[in-house]
Formats: sequence, structure tokens, C-alpha cells
Amino acid sequence: MTDFPITLAFPPQGHFTQPHLAIPCLVAYLRQQGFEDVEQRDLSIEAYDHFLSKDYLSYAREKATARLPLDQSAGELSYKEARAFRAAAETAVSADVLIERIEDAKATLRGEACFDTDAYVPAVRALYHGLRLVSAAHFPSELTPHNFTMAYSNDRSADVQAAIRDGSQNPFLRYFRQEVLPGLVARKPRVLGLSIVYGSQLVPALTLARLVKEALPDCHITAGGGFLAYIGKKLMAAPGTADCLDSIIFHEGEGPLNALCTALRDGTDLGLIGSLTWFDRGGDVPLVVEPRPIENMAMHPLKLDDAPAPDFEGLPFDKYLSPELVLPYDINRGCYYGECTFCTLPTVIGPGYRTRQADTIAGDVVALKARYGAKHFNFITDCMPPGMIQDLPEALIAREAGVTWWSDARVEPRAYTKAGAQRLFESGCRKLLFGYETATPRLLKLMKKGQSLKGISEVSKNCADAGISVTWYAMVGFPSETVEEARASLEFLAQHEGIVREVSLQTFHIDEVSQVYKEPETFGVEMIEVEGADLALYHDYRSSVGMTQEEAAEMFGEMMAGFRRHLPIFAGDTIFYFMQKSHYFLHLASGTTPDEFAERCRVRADERRARGAQADLRLRSGFTVQELPFSYKDAVELLGHPLARAARPDFLTGRFVANAEEEAAARLAPLPRAERVLAYDAENHDFVELRPGGLEVVRALDRAGDFGSLLEQFDAKLPGGPERRARLTHFAAELHRAGLLAGATTQEPVPAGSAH
Amino acid sequence: MQDDEKNIQEDAKAQAGAQATGAAAKLDLDNLDLTVETVEERISPSETNVFDK
Repeated sequence: MTDFPITLAFPPQGHFTQPHLAIPCLVAYLRQQGFEDVEQRDLSIEAYDHFLSKDYLSYAREKATARLPLDQSAGELSYKEARAFRAAAETAVSADVLIERIEDAKATLRGEACFDTDAYVPAVRALYHGLRLVSAAHFPSELTPHNFTMAYSNDRSADVQAAIRDGSQNPFLRYFRQEVLPGLVARKPRVLGLSIVYGSQLVPALTLARLVKEALPDCHITAGGGFLAYIGKKLMAAPGTADCLDSIIFHEGEGPLNALCTALRDGTDLGLIGSLTWFDRGGDVPLVVEPRPIENMAMHPLKLDDAPAPDFEGLPFDKYLSPELVLPYDINRGCYYGECTFCTLPTVIGPGYRTRQADTIAGDVVALKARYGAKHFNFITDCMPPGMIQDLPEALIAREAGVTWWSDARVEPRAYTKAGAQRLFESGCRKLLFGYETATPRLLKLMKKGQSLKGISEVSKNCADAGISVTWYAMVGFPSETVEEARASLEFLAQHEGIVREVSLQTFHIDEVSQVYKEPETFGVEMIEVEGADLALYHDYRSSVGMTQEEAAEMFGEMMAGFRRHLPIFAGDTIFYFMQKSHYFLHLASGTTPDEFAERCRVRADERRARGAQADLRLRSGFTVQELPFSYKDAVELLGHPLARAARPDFLTGRFVANAEEEAAARLAPLPRAERVLAYDAENHDFVELRPGGLEVVRALDRAGDFGSLLEQFDAKLPGGPERRARLTHFAAELHRAGLLAGATTQEPVPAGSAH
Repeated sequence: MQDDEKNIQEDAKAQAGAQATGAAAKLDLDNLDLTVETVEERISPSETNVFDK
């Protein structure tokens, strides 16, 4: 079947450290069913690689500079102007440095240097700041390593349709047109399949779909994935969707996609394909009105043990921003427990719980290792049942798989015993993420978690003792939770210092599939319906007891600050290891123990805090400054306020909290004008704010050569001399801690006139 | 000539009251604001890896 080209693509935005599993599963199944010409594209990593390049950042610098004047406010800086000011300030001071260093930063993350924290942290910062430059060029859109949002809302189809056509704010329009479309037009796929797992992918996916629909009218464009499992029905009924898509596949994709490709190849009826909703365009007589969607019956899910292992052939492994390949692999689908009242994740893959046998998993892992040279795996699962927790390590050990792995897990005290955890470690398990959620038994009961605090303590300790790094998922703002209860969650964590290494905290959301949405009175909440939100999935709510949504957002900040006190990985800039998928795991996989890694983080944070003002301190090379009309730091803090954060589109859905922007503008005080200097250095990639007077001293230090030479010029015998020298020493130590100065032995020579 | 003389006198006066010599000679350290502020990025819910499956 080489005459039936199929292209399956994972649209931006997904994480940039490893491939996503969805498309490789579909590719494997189609190839197994006899479709030979199946191409897979990870357009997310391709786009990141393209944007984070010297050429693109140069383009972004010009665009951002033209779009965002640094001083566009005559008087005070209002909340509404703060975001543009921040972007303009960062562009002005960092763009040149980023353009120069971005390729090195990518190379660092892809190579051995990724394991060197001194190289890793600045490289990750450079990537984050590079994406801020890309975002500034498309202001107010924001592309980060974990999200893509625009000024348009994902929960209104009119907004989505405007977003996919907005070339000034949607970076993907130009990218797809120039970098992706020509190849697709040359290939002429008969089917283009788009996997929309996250809300952040909706606008990019439909942007591409519309371009392809215009260029290749005969190509059937279908979409599926987790996010569409929630909103697909609404999307198919929304105006404009028929200009982008021909169909949507709901829930598990393998069977329906195979049936769709087969029907399109053979010219048979699409109405017989299970789990497909499609537009009947009227065949040879095109409809003059917008076609209506036809919803087919659901298809029965696959017997997972019969499904092939994912096929990653064709993915650009060299582009992922990790030093070693970590492959995702689905050991089961759905959730065997399936009771939690807040969780709807298992529903996106279809009804029921299906698993592969432990021996099948071990066999696939060994085969994938041989085929791709991958030694590390991310087992994708909502949780493993007790039997699998026991069987899988035995199967991996029996086959001498020689791999390391990490996965999500449920608190199962019967399985994660001391001996069980030890066996898991021996099979290569290096990190497990447990759903802790809260330390309040009343809330655990309301959530129907089916676990106790004793259980989570015991399981975590057993795993930690075995050498497995433990992460907890925690939640803040579950209906009726009080401030005191949230603080108790933090306190319980503090009691597990040295056992728990990371906490993944999320504020509570209500989606339309959840039990909370269906039975609001049980949870003491009242839903707020927003008019015109025809693609709405998540809902704001009023709570009759406990924290409001705003208080929960504030508590999120308080809890994150608490984690920074109690978790060494979170304490300083090593938090980047937590934020980049698999990066901390790769340290564990290379033989570093959780204790050793925590100690390394502690030493790094302590070393920075202890920095003083020794004589050989010099300006770091590539130091740049920009004078500003307002305080950058105050602007960043203003934008970090919970009210301001609520005014940005939501993470999971890309929607806006109703009236949040107006409320933030009304309640957040504007910033007064202030003479400030923003500094940036090319080695640390950190923003530091000075006063004009501080810049004078920095320039004098640069002229003097080093701090010792500058200090000598202040005579201690003069009246006021000792005080001046002390003041200067304090200033130099602060610059040293901020990373702008470094000892001569630890840096390159300072180029003349670098403090311009 | 008179201007030159005036400049020389002012320089001498400044030198006598200077706080420092060399590269730092013109620094009026007593009156400079030497505040250093670093910006700790808040980690927002959108930047953690929850649900990143």
C-alpha cells in the first residue's frame, strides 16, 4: 500500500525533552495493518528547534523591537502595560546575547555537558529567555517550554478562528507556511492525522489544518487525542471547524484511524467507522452550506496486549533537548482504580482498563532498546495495579533488560513494600510519582482517593529506602479546602524531607467530565456558566465553604515557597531539573542517588549564598545593560500576582477566567516612573536590576580590571574611607551572588569595554 | 585663559575632596544607590509538569 501516503503529526506545543507517545502508537498500528507509507512528524520539537535558532531569534529581535517600544507610557506603568514593558526590557538587554549563544545552549542540553549543573542551568535559562524573545515578537502570545497561549481564548470558537489567522500574534502561521507546508504539498498525503493532547496544541493544530485544507483539498484531515476527547464534540459543531478538519476520532485512536484510512483508500462509507465524527460534504455535489457533523457509534477498544510496541522510526531524535533518549511506552490504558472524583484523565483513552502483560512489556522494552539504542523509558500509565508492580520487575530482570525507567504510581501499600520497592529498583525503576494530593483525611475521602496518610508515608519511605526518587502530586483548592488544610499539606510534606524529592502542585480545576461538575452540591460548589464559551470544558465556580479560587491561587504561591524551603531540588536554580521532563531522572539513571543529587543542589545553593567579595572578582564576559524608565523587578512581581496570573489564559484549556483582566487592572496599583538599569550576562543568563549609581560603580570596576584594584583606589585613611570600602565590598558581594561578577579563575577574560 | 584657570582650580578642589583615585576618582560613593535586585521567577501552575503525559 505504498500508493496511499499518510502523515501523522504531533503539533506544537508539547514538551521538548522527549517524544510524545501518541503518534508512535498510531504509526505502529497502521504499519502493522499493512499501510507502508506512514510518515510521522513531531512538529512540536521541529518548531522549538526552528524558533530557538540564531536566524529565527534575529528575526524575532527585529520584530519585537518594532512592536514593543521600551517607553510607551507617559506617566505611570499600568498593569495592562506591564507585560509589554517586561518583554521590551528583556528584548533590549538580552536579544543580542541570546542570538549569539542559543545554539551552544541547545548543544549543552543535548550533550554530556547537560549533566554539569554549572553548564545546565545557564543553558536552560537561555532557552527560556529565547522563547521569551520569540513571544515578544508575537506579543501578547507566550510560548514557553510548557505552554502556548495567546490573547485569544480556547473556549470560544470565534477566538480560535481568529487566532489561526493572526499572523502577527501566531508564530506558527509563518512557521507552517514556510517550513512545513511545502513538504506536505510535495508529499500529498491522502490522510493527515493531528494529535491534539493538550489545550496548547489546539490553535497550532488548526492553524496547520486550515493551511493544508486550502493547499490540498483532497487530503482528509482528521484529529484526535486527549484534549479533543473532552471538547471534540463541541469543536465539530463550531463555526469554521469544517474549514480545517474533515473528522475527529474520539478516545483510543488505533482502530478508528486504521478503519478511516482503509475506507478512504477503498472508497467505502465513513459512516461505518466507529468512534469517528465526520463532516458529510455531499460527495460529488459539494454542499453550499457549512456541513453538519455526523457522529458514528463508538468502537470497542483494542486488546492492548495485541497492539504493537510504539514505532518511533522517523522521529528526529537528535533534536530533543536531552543528553540521552528517554522513550515513552504505554504499559496500560485507563485506570484500574478509576474512583477519584477530581480525575478524568482515564476517560480520554476510552472506556475500561486495559493492560499489556508484564512479559509483553519486558519483551517490547528489550526490542525498543535494541532498535533505538534507548536505555531509558518513561512508562506511561495512570497507575500500575498491585499485580503489575510485582510482575513487571520480575519480567524485566528475567529478560536482563538493563534499562532504567520512571512512571506515575498509586499508593498501594501491599505492593510497595520494602522488598517490592527493592525489586523495582533492581529492575531499573529510579523515580515514581505518587498521588498524595492532601494531608487532610476529610478531603481524601471527598476525593475518593482510597488511601491513607499512613499509606503514603509508608510507601514513600519504602521507595526512598530502596533508592527510588519519590515525587508527590499535590493539589490546592479542592472544593471546601481551607487555608489551614492547605498549610497542613505543606507541613506533612515537611515531615517527609529526605524522602520526597519533588512535588508537582496543581490548582484544582473543574472539567465537564468530572464528578464535581456533575454533582456540584456534593462538593459545595456552584458552577459559573460563561455566555458565548461554546468550546468550554473547564468552569469557574463559587465555593460555599473553604478557599475561593483566588485564595487557592495565592496559596499555590505560598506552597511553592514552602517547597523551596524543604526540597533541595527546588531551593535554588536547580528547580529547572524538576521543570524539564526526565532531566533529573537522567541523573538518577546515570548512577547518582537521590541523596547525592539533593546534596549537590544544597551545596550549589549554599555556595551562592556564601559568596563574598574577593579581590579577583571581575565582570563576567558578555555583560550587557539597558537603562529603563520603570522597575523591571516590580513589573515582574506585578505580573506574578495571582490576580495578574488569572488574567492570562489557563494552562490546561487556554481559556480566560471571566473578568480577570478587568479585575487585575482595577486592583493592581500602577508602577511609578523610576530610573533603573537592567543587567544581563551571557554566562549565567540572569536578569539583575541595578540603579544608575550601581552601574557607575560597575563601569569603574570594569575600568579598574578587578574588584581588588577598584577597592585600592579608595583610601581607608581618608575620612569616611572605611565606610566607603565596606559599602563597595557589600555591593561587590551582592553582584557576585547575583552572578554578575566571578573570580578571575572561573571565567574567561573580560573583553575591553564590555560594560557598554 | 581665565576659563582654563577656573577649570584647574575646580579640578584641584575636586581632587582634594575626592573619595578615590584612578578609575574610581569620579565616583561619589556616598551618594550612589547601590541596590542590587534579583528576580526570582515564580513558578506558575502552567510551568510545572503535571499532566505532561
